[in-house]
Amino acid sequence: MVNNPYYIHLLIMVGMNAVLAMTFLLLLRTGLITIAIAGFWGVGAYASALLSVKLGLWVWLALPTSAFISAIVGLVIGLLLIKKGGIGFVMLTLVFGFIVVLVFGTFEAFGGYTGIYDIPPPEAIRLPFFGLVEFTSKTPFYYLMLFLVSLVVLVFNAFYASWTGRAWRAIGQGPRLAESLGVSIFQYRLLAFVIAAAAAGLMGSFFAHYYGSIVPATFGPQKTIYVHVYAILGGIEYAFTGPLVGSLVMIVAPELLRIAKEVEPIFTGLLVILLVMFLPDGLLGLIGHSRPSGPAENLSRVARWVKEAFTRGKSASQG
Amino acid sequence: MSMAVVAQLFVDGLAMGLVYVLLASGFNLIVDISGVLFIAYGQFYMIGAYTLYVLMVMLKLPFFVSLAVATIVSALLGGAIYRLVFHRIRAMDRQFLNGIVAAVGLMLLIGQAVLLAFGTASRGVGTAFKGMLKLGGVNLSVEKLVLIALGVAVLLFLHVILQKTNVGRAMRAVSFNPDVSELQGINSNRVYLLAMAIGCGLAGFSGGIMAPIFAVYPEMGAIALLILLVVMLGGIGSMTGAILAGLILGATLSFGQYFFGSGLAQILFFAVVGVILFVRPGGLLGEDTEIQI
Repeated sequence: MVNNPYYIHLLIMVGMNAVLAMTFLLLLRTGLITIAIAGFWGVGAYASALLSVKLGLWVWLALPTSAFISAIVGLVIGLLLIKKGGIGFVMLTLVFGFIVVLVFGTFEAFGGYTGIYDIPPPEAIRLPFFGLVEFTSKTPFYYLMLFLVSLVVLVFNAFYASWTGRAWRAIGQGPRLAESLGVSIFQYRLLAFVIAAAAAGLMGSFFAHYYGSIVPATFGPQKTIYVHVYAILGGIEYAFTGPLVGSLVMIVAPELLRIAKEVEPIFTGLLVILLVMFLPDGLLGLIGHSRPSGPAENLSRVARWVKEAFTRGKSASQG
Repeated sequence: MSMAVVAQLFVDGLAMGLVYVLLASGFNLIVDISGVLFIAYGQFYMIGAYTLYVLMVMLKLPFFVSLAVATIVSALLGGAIYRLVFHRIRAMDRQFLNGIVAAVGLMLLIGQAVLLAFGTASRGVGTAFKGMLKLGGVNLSVEKLVLIALGVAVLLFLHVILQKTNVGRAMRAVSFNPDVSELQGINSNRVYLLAMAIGCGLAGFSGGIMAPIFAVYPEMGAIALLILLVVMLGGIGSMTGAILAGLILGATLSFGQYFFGSGLAQILFFAVVGVILFVRPGGLLGEDTEIQI
């Protein structure tokens, strides 16, 4: 299974969608619901595609540059939108989501509705232990995604564990109280928004060079809604394991159960409905949640839960 | 620019606008009263259209009968879905977010089911009202005029129900304050179900009247997010706002498409919406609120 390129592709998709879901949770923590995620994903993808195709920039440079460009766009949009707060913010991010797709589709500079193709994969690099790594198969992309996911988790976790993270939680749980304690709601939310935009843009850049071609329709608000589902199904209390579990279940489960392609959305839809009806706290709600815990601890909890489930099952069939 | 062209654009804009108004009104009912951000709403629009297709093209039933059946089927389905799924979700802490997830699941399920049943090709439904009407030298298609007449009739009907009947009063009371309404003896659960049924019925009706004019295709449900935007533009809970916003959309797209081409017209619309929402985040006639997660 591990060598099957299709499964590697699925894991890559899980990683990417998990990161996008993590950005949703990042903003949710500060009390903001955003429908702009796919928009920034698109900004990163198009920036990277244009940089490498039209300007011939090295992909390894295009990756961080696109994340940076996405962050700048996030800064501008955030400056405009965050002051609105509440429903206004949500709707304006939805408008942003629509406009991004329309702009990419309408103007020939962005390739129009046929999109951009012949996007180069990352250039071959010489790594100390592995020698020359060429991006001709899916496996190097998998390790790159693994690296990027780890990077995002480390950076996000650093913020969450710091004073900034505490300020975010305070703003999310009680804006008025936070304000009265001297926490600037606007600045902290803006920071979260920019970080989220950068992470989404980074994923977009990866996406462009992994797929080799991009079309505007991929980056619409519909995609963001799916990302929301991955995050919520996993469990919104869990900033990292939630998105991973949610994406894993929704992307890999249909494959594992060998659901036919035609029936797959019906299965997924039904699964989603049942999960949300019977697990209101998300999948990770099953493992319990007594105090805030970091990703490492949550992962070990999940592992323990799975192990216990197996031994329970085994003893039940043996007893 | 001749009068004929203006009149044509006006009628087109009005027809499209009315469909958006109907959809927005239905969605408004569901979001405001039932409290579900029902992303799957667009699928009922599609169900209405496909029902009309099946009844008119396959079973050769007349237009008005087919339209009525399409509306009723959508309403019943909507009510059933509320009872099966959202009634339970309502009891949860995170009903807002979980409701969205359930709606997405429904969207996938219904969308694929229809796709499997009918295939990817778009279907045409022959129009029941052929021909053009000549009014003062201007050619207006009869079917669009019928659409406008039907749309306005249904909207008036809806208005009467909401404002003049006990049921309507109950719905407005529940949307205003569910707990106090319960104290007054209103069964709020029944109201939630009813609101969803009526809302989905409106979507089915819209799909039904649109089907003869535009083709019937599986992706019709994608309109849901746009309708969400229209409702937000008008302001949640405001029927008048939904009407205004829907007509604005219809007019902008109709006239914008003529002058700027469809791509720029859409960008123009969203830019206009963005500016309006920026200046009035609650929408044209609504109030801005913090959302409970």
